[in-house]
Amino acid sequence: MIMPRDPSKDGTSLNSQGTPTPHTEGLAKLQDRSAWLRRTLFDMVMRSRKGHIPSSFSCAETLLTLFYGGVLRYAHGAPNHPHRDRLIVSKGHAAMALYPILADIGYVPEEELENFTRKESLLRMYADPGIPGIDSITGSLGHGLGVAAGYALASRQDGRDQRAFAVLGDSECYEGSVWESALFGAHHGLDNLVTIVDRNGLAIMGQTEELLALDSLEEKFRAFGWHALSVDGHSYTALQSAFGQLGNTDGKPLAIIAQTVKGKGISFMENRSEWHNRMPDDEQEARARQDLQTNCITN
Amino acid sequence: MATPLQRDVFIDTIFEAAQSDRDVLFLSADLGAKALDRFRAELPDQFIHPGICEQNMIDVAAGLARSGKKVITYAMASFITARCYEQIKCALAAMNQPVTVVSVGVGLGYDNAGPTHYTTEDLACLRALPGVEVWSPGDAEATQELARLCLDRPALRYVRLERPALEPLYHGTFSTVRDTGLAEIAHGDRVCILSSGYLLHRALDVRDLLRPEGIDLGVIDLFRLKPLDTKQLANTLRHYKKIITLEEQCLDGGFGSAVLEALNDSQLHRPLLRLGLPNRFFFENGGRSHVLEKCGLNPATIALSIREFIAGQQLAQPTQTGNTLITNPARAAATPDAH
Repeated sequence: MIMPRDPSKDGTSLNSQGTPTPHTEGLAKLQDRSAWLRRTLFDMVMRSRKGHIPSSFSCAETLLTLFYGGVLRYAHGAPNHPHRDRLIVSKGHAAMALYPILADIGYVPEEELENFTRKESLLRMYADPGIPGIDSITGSLGHGLGVAAGYALASRQDGRDQRAFAVLGDSECYEGSVWESALFGAHHGLDNLVTIVDRNGLAIMGQTEELLALDSLEEKFRAFGWHALSVDGHSYTALQSAFGQLGNTDGKPLAIIAQTVKGKGISFMENRSEWHNRMPDDEQEARARQDLQTNCITN
Repeated sequence: MATPLQRDVFIDTIFEAAQSDRDVLFLSADLGAKALDRFRAELPDQFIHPGICEQNMIDVAAGLARSGKKVITYAMASFITARCYEQIKCALAAMNQPVTVVSVGVGLGYDNAGPTHYTTEDLACLRALPGVEVWSPGDAEATQELARLCLDRPALRYVRLERPALEPLYHGTFSTVRDTGLAEIAHGDRVCILSSGYLLHRALDVRDLLRPEGIDLGVIDLFRLKPLDTKQLANTLRHYKKIITLEEQCLDGGFGSAVLEALNDSQLHRPLLRLGLPNRFFFENGGRSHVLEKCGLNPATIALSIREFIAGQQLAQPTQTGNTLITNPARAAATPDAH
């Protein structure tokens, strides 16, 4: 399913410094995006029998807000634009959630969505910079924030106004390297560095608070010197408001703890850790498709 | 003038370039050097202390390199290899990022420090990663030339530096052999020894020991283990009848293994004696020389092994596996599992 192309966005506008300006759509359109992205991802997974549906669905609104909600600076059809913002979906099993968006903005051919994970095709289950628009290899947890910090530091050293975004899983925050990167970002005052933690509360084997409590990630990032806040990660208005604090963080990097539901949009997958990488059978597929007819995002 | 330390030579060379190139960045995970004091003082914006956070240092280096920076990362050998191996694999090697990874104190270089600080597996580990160049310069001149290479032709390069100063070997000639990755620094007859870094100098001592007996031992500095120029290596070794490798690494998968693989791939079949460390950890006090001696790697014992090898006798080389060489009774009593 391809989102109908909006001709107005072809030929991205640039500001006077040559920085691409973000693309902003209204709430109704964004809500349509939510339905479109979930259905497209579901189709990709059902066709290939590969991929991670629940993890992708929990960060869907985060990614859609970045690309269509007026946050990320990128140029349509120009994945290597020198002044683009950088984005790393560090929870690499959900990097596939980017692919329909990358096709929509002209980075990768749309037919590649149908080829997802097919032999010798472009789009892999996990992402790497061989795919246009991907700024880091992901799949092993705990790398993305550090690489993003490197991007942010280089941008500042070069006097460029580029930001670096890293979408982390909450369970990814078990990796100690995340906290090394958190120290680094705060020490260097990288206020052009943003992390969004997809706080869906689940690891593969159960709830994070039962496995090994992560407790308040907002307080942890704040204690590490970040400007941190928690928001409803399925609310465009809440996410846009949170991203709106970029540039107003008193010189601190920004941590947005997005409270989300793993599997959001497919009732029987929601909050169920066993669905991490399980494939629906025929009956479950029909139920899922029925669920996906209804838009689960209301604000 | 005292022989300079490899690390000071390397850093000074980077410093000279960094003065006129703001894209040159030096990251040190809390390992100092005299030359680094000047770098920090004069180019504070190009020096980054990432904390004792080797994993994040490598990830940050990837982001910097992908933004066009020329990045040198630097730490104690043990911690910039095993500690952040996965970061080197994913963020640097798999993304083909031209970052220089400098390790200091390779092998048993951190005298008396024991298994946490010894790096007796880094050759096996790093050469297993696709796209990583592995270099072990044998003197200050080679170190300087290598630093220049890192600036002029950035690539993912693992640079192994020794803690102690190494006596000059090349006397102005290293630039002529740099790109071949190896140099026959002493031509011999029938038998030769390959080594690099600290033990290369010991190999030269062994050559001196054997010469009065009429054994003319060729000595080859294989300073770039990867990529290994197998053709050049085979051509260099072809006229020797027997070959010895000498390394300060556990033998499994290390320097000698790389040479054996290259010879096999070149269909050059020669008896080869691998001298190195047994596959165990080294807890014993007594310093680098003591551990080397215990493992049969002091010059006299190396010479003895070579004599026996030439004569075709059974070798005296220790082959223990596990931590079976613990000789201090108190330690042995405290670690019953070691037996």
